This record gives sequence, C-alpha cells and structure tokens, in this order.
Amino acid sequence: MQIFQPEEVIIERGSEESPICRNLRNALPHVPFRIVEASHNGDAARAPEAFGAAKRKLLVTRHRGEFLKKCPGSEGQVCCNYFVINFASNCPMDCSYCYLQEYLAGNPALKVFSNIGDLLREADDLLSRHRGVFFRIGTGEITDSLALDRYIGFSREVIPFFAEQPNVLLELKTKSDCVDGLLGIDSKNRVVVSWSMNPQRVIECDEDGTASLDERLAAARRCQDAGYRLAFHFDPIIDYCGWEQDYARLVEQLFATVDWRRIAWLSMGVLRTTPDLKRAMRARFPRSRLITGEQVLCPDGKLRYFQPLRVAMYRKMLGWIRAVAPTAKVYLCMESKEVWQQVFGYAPSCEKDLGNQMAPHF
Amino acid sequence: MGWDERDSGGLWRLAYALKIGENHLRDLMDWLEEIALRDAVSIHEILSRPDLGRIETDPRLGRADKLKRIKEQIRRWRFPRLAETEDDLRKRIHELKLHPDIRLSVPTGLEGANLHVEFNASSAHELKRLAARLMAAADQEPVGDIFALLSGDRVKDGRLSRD
Repeated sequence: MQIFQPEEVIIERGSEESPICRNLRNALPHVPFRIVEASHNGDAARAPEAFGAAKRKLLVTRHRGEFLKKCPGSEGQVCCNYFVINFASNCPMDCSYCYLQEYLAGNPALKVFSNIGDLLREADDLLSRHRGVFFRIGTGEITDSLALDRYIGFSREVIPFFAEQPNVLLELKTKSDCVDGLLGIDSKNRVVVSWSMNPQRVIECDEDGTASLDERLAAARRCQDAGYRLAFHFDPIIDYCGWEQDYARLVEQLFATVDWRRIAWLSMGVLRTTPDLKRAMRARFPRSRLITGEQVLCPDGKLRYFQPLRVAMYRKMLGWIRAVAPTAKVYLCMESKEVWQQVFGYAPSCEKDLGNQMAPHF
Repeated sequence: MGWDERDSGGLWRLAYALKIGENHLRDLMDWLEEIALRDAVSIHEILSRPDLGRIETDPRLGRADKLKRIKEQIRRWRFPRLAETEDDLRKRIHELKLHPDIRLSVPTGLEGANLHVEFNASSAHELKRLAARLMAAADQEPVGDIFALLSGDRVKDGRLSRD
C-alpha cells in the first residue's frame, strides 16, 4: 500500500494538547506543523482539483456539531439502521467513484477532529440511555476508518470504551491494511473490522492509494487471528467485461483467507453515482470507464445499473457467497424492497428488522 | 474528456441542422463522450456511422423525428443491454395482441420492475370484458417472459439472453 504522509499538519488553536495531536507529533516528526486560529477551513475551494489538493494537508480541528448521527441511507431504500461517528472528514485515498467528491465538494479539507472526549461522552450518553437497543455504529462514512490510524491512533483511543459497552458493535471500515494499532487491543467482540472489497483489476484502475487485494486479505487475516470479528463490503460492484470471473475469484480468495464463521456481515452494492458526481469523476478521472456503465436514474436521485442487470449481478454474487458461507449474513446497501425481493426472495419489513438481524448474540 | 475540432464540428453541424435544444444537446454530449471512452473511438467516428447518416438524410422524416431517432440510436449505443431488454419487453407486449384499450408499459429505465397496466372502461360491461381479456393474457407465455425480463432472470453471463 502506498503510504500516505501529509505535506503539512495544520492545527487549529485549542487542539494542540489533544491526544490526536500528540499522536501525530510522535508519528510524523519530520512533517511541518502549523498552528492556526480557529475556523480555519484547510484552504478550501470548490474547483475539482481542490478536492485532490485538499488530501495532501491534514487539518486538526474541534468538531463543533454532533459526532453521532443516524446514517442517512437513501430515500425510499431499505435502511440497515446504522449510526455513524464522523471522527474525520475526507480521506487520504482517492477512489475515482468516491461520493465525497460531491458530498465534500464545498469543504474538502482532510480533517481529523481533536475532541475525542466529546465523542466518547456522546456515545456513552446514547448507549447508556438505551441499553435495551442494539446499535451498530460505523466510523467509515465520510472517511476511511483506518487509513490515518498509524498517525492519529484513533482506534486505541476509542476501542477500550466500546469494548466495555454491552449494546454496540463498532465497525471500522477501511480499504487500507493499517491494522497494527488494533492488534494489541482486546475488543471483547465489540469491534468489527471491515473491508471494502474489489478485484485487483478494479483496485488498480479506480482505487488509488488503497491497499491491494492481497494486502487487505492479509490484514483481515491478522485481525481475525487477533480475535476481531470481520465484515466485508462488496461495494461498489462494478460491471465490466469479465466481472464474473474476477468477482467469483474474489469471493473464493476471501473465503480461502478468513473463516466465514467469524464474519459478522457481508454487504453488496453496485456502483452508485449521481449526475454531479459523474461531473466530478469526468474532471478528476477522465480515463476511468466507470461512468460508461449502463446506469439509469433511480427515484432517489442516484444512478445505478438498470434493475434487471444489477439484480442478476447480485444473484450471482450471492450464489458464489452462499456456496461457501451458506448462513453468513448478507445484505444489500441502498437498494429498494423490490430489489431485495428479487435477490433474496424477501424484503425486511422495516429497518429495525434488518438492523436486528445484524445483532448476533445480543 | 477533450473534444477536438472534428468532434465538436460534427456535433455542431448536427445541432445546427436539427436545431437541437440545450437539454437534448447535453444528453447527446454525455452519451457520445461515454461511448467514445468505453469503445475507444472518437466522437467524430461515432457521428459518422452510417446508421446516423441514413436517419439524417431520410427525406420522409421531419426535423423533430430525425432528432428523436438520432437520439434514440445514440442512446441504444450508449445503453445496449438496456435497449435490448426494452426491445424484448416491447416484443413480448406486442405478442399478447391486447385490445387497443388495454395498454401495458414498463417504467423508464426499467427501475421498479413493475408492469404498468392501463385501461379505460365506460360501463360495467366493458370493464368486465377488458378485465377478462387481461386475465386471459396473464396466463400467456409472454407475460411470464415480461416478468422474467424485469426481474433479471434473463441476464446470463453478464449478457441478456433471449431464451
């Protein structure tokens, strides 16, 4: 994996003494640090090239809103009742299809938030007030959960807290192999480490700066051996000539590397874009062929492969998965009840139904 | 993606001849760029294909019809499997030989996988008659094929299968 190193770390005044800042200074002794006044926004600009440029500097700042949010899902689609913690914003990797190119277009600074104490207080408040409710919380919504971990040490700051909570699974979702910081921590089965999975061909063409497939698999194996539960997201599944062979092989490699009984869940989702995201992709990745797929506009404003095609793709993926892991939990990300019905022969009755299915032994 | 002089000249000539409006032009530009990228051909080459030339020079067609057909043709190149599925669905609907007062249609882009059925009746008798015809049609093979196509059952090996 290409090791990311920021050109500069910009620290907003007031964050200098935070654990995140201390970890950064220890991990990046040769990188210049600059202190700025509050409200600095990482030299933001809206131009497409600004999005890429913003990834080269790291801004450490306080998060002023709520850390914990309900995953917005997508209008009209089956939701998996997921919560997200945004401990950082933007990502040092650069996938051509990344929705952050659109979502963070006006605020692209690569940021990590320093007030982890507030984050933990908020989580504690939610979890302790609702002990009868099971929560799945992820940190990989608007950043990669682990790509910066070797510098910021976020995992070792938060896992000990979540390990003690009886009603939560914390999901750390990544395309990296940065798991060293996790291996010595006892997560007490409360942390799921998950990977977005794609064949090496897709990784090479469209997932710049991420770990190779072999590196992801090796990292997953290390986490499994260290006692972590695992999850894998076949998302985005890309349609191209030869995709079946590549994805069948991917599933085969995955199950040859990890014990499927240690897998908490698997998800599938085809490539999703929007008209605005496609414009960003054209500008930033003009040679990427992803925008040439047979995508149509769906009622939620997203473009997906037309339904009969993507249903056929999901069924094939499910068949390959089921051949090895007959009882693994598999769900669809951002799909309608009709698609669920066509793929699985049933659709969750409500989002709690699906969320509860993901809560084993609770 | 950059448009060289021949690419932009080709589209400009077409746009001028057919008085193409902004929205149509935007669709065409996107589709042409995406076909060119996918198939590694130039936009000029796509615009020079005989299929388009035949439509453009067909004396039986007015300007609006030419635009409609040219756009349809370029869409077919851009979305070949979707277009093929839509053709198959139209064929199956046609095979049902339904009464003209009963109309079957599928959603744009096939999203939702629902068959839309529409009919008008001006009396209880007519309603019963049309409903009976519809019931009879539901048992026919093409209806099964329609739902199979809509639900992805006919996509094999990444390609749409007619059988």
